[in-house]
Order: sequence, then structure tokens, then C-alpha cells
Amino acid sequence: MSTGQSLLTIAAFMFLSTLLVNFYRLAASNGDVIAGGQDGIAETTIAISYIEIANGLAFDTVTDTSDIAINNPNSLTPPDQLGHGFSEDSLHKFNDFDDFKGYSEEKEMLGSGRRYKTKFDVYYVDPNNVNNKSSVRTFVKRMDLNVWRIFPPPDKDSGLDTMKTFTTMGYFHFD
Amino acid sequence: MAVILDIIFSLVFGGALLVIVLTANDIANENYSLYNGDVVVQEMLVSTAELVEGELRNMGFGVPEKKQTVLEADTGRIKYLTDLDRNGTIDTITYYVGDTTELLQTQNELDRYLRRKVNAGMTAKVGVVTQWRLRYITASGEVLPTPVELDRLTEIHIVELTMEVQNPYAQLRRTGEVEDGQRGALYSSSFWQQTRLASQNLRR
Repeated sequence: MSTGQSLLTIAAFMFLSTLLVNFYRLAASNGDVIAGGQDGIAETTIAISYIEIANGLAFDTVTDTSDIAINNPNSLTPPDQLGHGFSEDSLHKFNDFDDFKGYSEEKEMLGSGRRYKTKFDVYYVDPNNVNNKSSVRTFVKRMDLNVWRIFPPPDKDSGLDTMKTFTTMGYFHFD
Repeated sequence: MAVILDIIFSLVFGGALLVIVLTANDIANENYSLYNGDVVVQEMLVSTAELVEGELRNMGFGVPEKKQTVLEADTGRIKYLTDLDRNGTIDTITYYVGDTTELLQTQNELDRYLRRKVNAGMTAKVGVVTQWRLRYITASGEVLPTPVELDRLTEIHIVELTMEVQNPYAQLRRTGEVEDGQRGALYSSSFWQQTRLASQNLRR
């Protein structure tokens, strides 16, 4: 085999190697995208489950313990005191919507072994625009939820990210 | 001599090239089947989940405050009350899974029908699942043993539903690839889990 032929063979194999590396990278990335779909389903269902629980709670500690209609938002919990009390240390002990403030919980999807973490934040918002955080008490609260997979930890290159969503709750009272 | 060596090297390189291409082709085919199966399964799961989550969301709707909402509670079966048509008449909804023998025509030996029944009407098949597991949790966080005893049905505060869907047809594996305890085919699978309140108005 002459030098020219050898060089040509080496070049051909380098070309083939590049093709193969790209092929396997593409195959792996397709798998990540589809696995990401499963994570998206799981994260969405987890977020909806928490929202369901939160929506079943009272609007505020004051409205949970009293059956009298509140007409003045200043009767509600001050913004800097939102959050769960000392004795409300688990989800099942929460009694009002803002008990979720600062709370975080891990959940395992039964059967798949994957674990997800959710972090919550709750604050008052402007009733006319729920995207505007209010520094004063209003009759509308917003809960932000961030859900992400913690086990198995996602690869940095997988493109998996935190799922962010929110829900709002307005105060109402039946006379 | 040099010519013979050239031929031998060419055969070796050509053979290696052929093996690489065939392996890559195998992997491409396998991945295509698996990814396609994953997508189909996720779509099947979402379509069933949309129906179930929409209905369970309204569990207890229109039911008087003191009346029991859940009438039957077992791992694979739930019967509850809701005003389905919002006409003031309380309806009884039953969800339950059938037996795996009903779907013997599919390759997957675990799939079964999910059924829904409204009042005394006909039972409808609303999906195919491989797992449908219900858990019942009290307001204090206690998981009730199933089937839940009649006198404890009123304690149900949260209903947790786990659902798994696998594709009915899968990629068969070669006998040598299957180890003890493994299934003879690769099935795509997708999980869904959600908690629902037995009644929306407990604290409002």
C-alpha cells in the first residue's frame, strides 16, 4: 500500500468515525427529549396535585378560624407573616393557602423510582394583575411552584429544566 | 506478496466497516422503535389522564356537606358521588380496571381496560392501562388500608391515583438477551400520579 493510499484510508476512517459519533449523539439526544417528556408529565401532575390541595384550604388563617365575612383586607395576615406556623410542619397540617410559603417537599413517583422536589412561594398580588406582587394585603394570593427532578439527577447537557407554574386564590365568602 | 497483504488489509477494513454499519443500523432501528413506542405511550397516557383528572376534580361536587362522597374505595376501584351534569341530581361514578385476560390478543401481558360507569348505565372502556392504583389518605395523613371499611369512607380526604401505560406491542428481545425475571420484550412505559380531594369544600 503506497503512502497516498494509506493516507486516503486513514482519512476515510476519520470521516467514518465522525459520522458514527454524530449518529450516536443524535440517537442519545432523541432519547433525552423523550425522557424529558416523561419528566414533564410527572412534574405537571405533581404540581397539579399540590395546587389541588392548596385550593382546598382556607384563604387565610383568619378566614379558617372565623366564619364572619371579611370586608377589609387589612384584617388578613400581613405579607411578612405569611407562611406556616411552628406546629404546621407538614402538608397535612396546613390549614390555609399561604402555609405553603417557603415550603419544599420531595416526592417519589411510584413505580418509576424518580424523585422530584417542589419549592413554593406565596404572596399577595394586585387583583387587577396577578403578575404584580403586592406589598400590601389584598384579597388575592398567588402561589409559585418550581418542580424539578432530583433523582436520578439530570445531565447538564440534557436540557432538562425546572418546571415553573403558579396558581391564584381569591377570597370569597358565602353568607 | 504486497498485493496479497493489500487484499487482506482491505478485507479486514471492509469487514470492520460492514460490522460497524450493521451495528449502527440495528441500533437505529431499535431506538426508532423504542422512541416511537415512548411517544405513543405518552400520548395514550395523557388522553386517559385528561378524562380521569377532569372527572376526579369534580368529586363531591353538588353533594350535600354532610353526605358521604366516596361510596366504595379499593385499590383498583372507586365509586363516588358528583353532580355530573350540573342539573341538581347527584350521579354515581364508578372507575375500575378489568382483568388482564380481556386483552390476551395484545403482546403485552399486563395491559387491561379501564372502565367507567355512570349510575346504572352501560360500562364504557375509557382507556388501556397496565397499572391503576388508588390510595386513600385521611386529613391527618394516614393511608387507609384497602378496601376501605364502610365506616371509614367518610374519613377519606385525599385520593391518590397512580396510573401506568405501556405500549401493547413491543420490540421482542432475543432469548439470550433476556435474563431471569425479565420480560421477553422491551415495553415503553409512562407514569402518571395525582392526588385529588374527596371534597373541595372541607375548609372553605
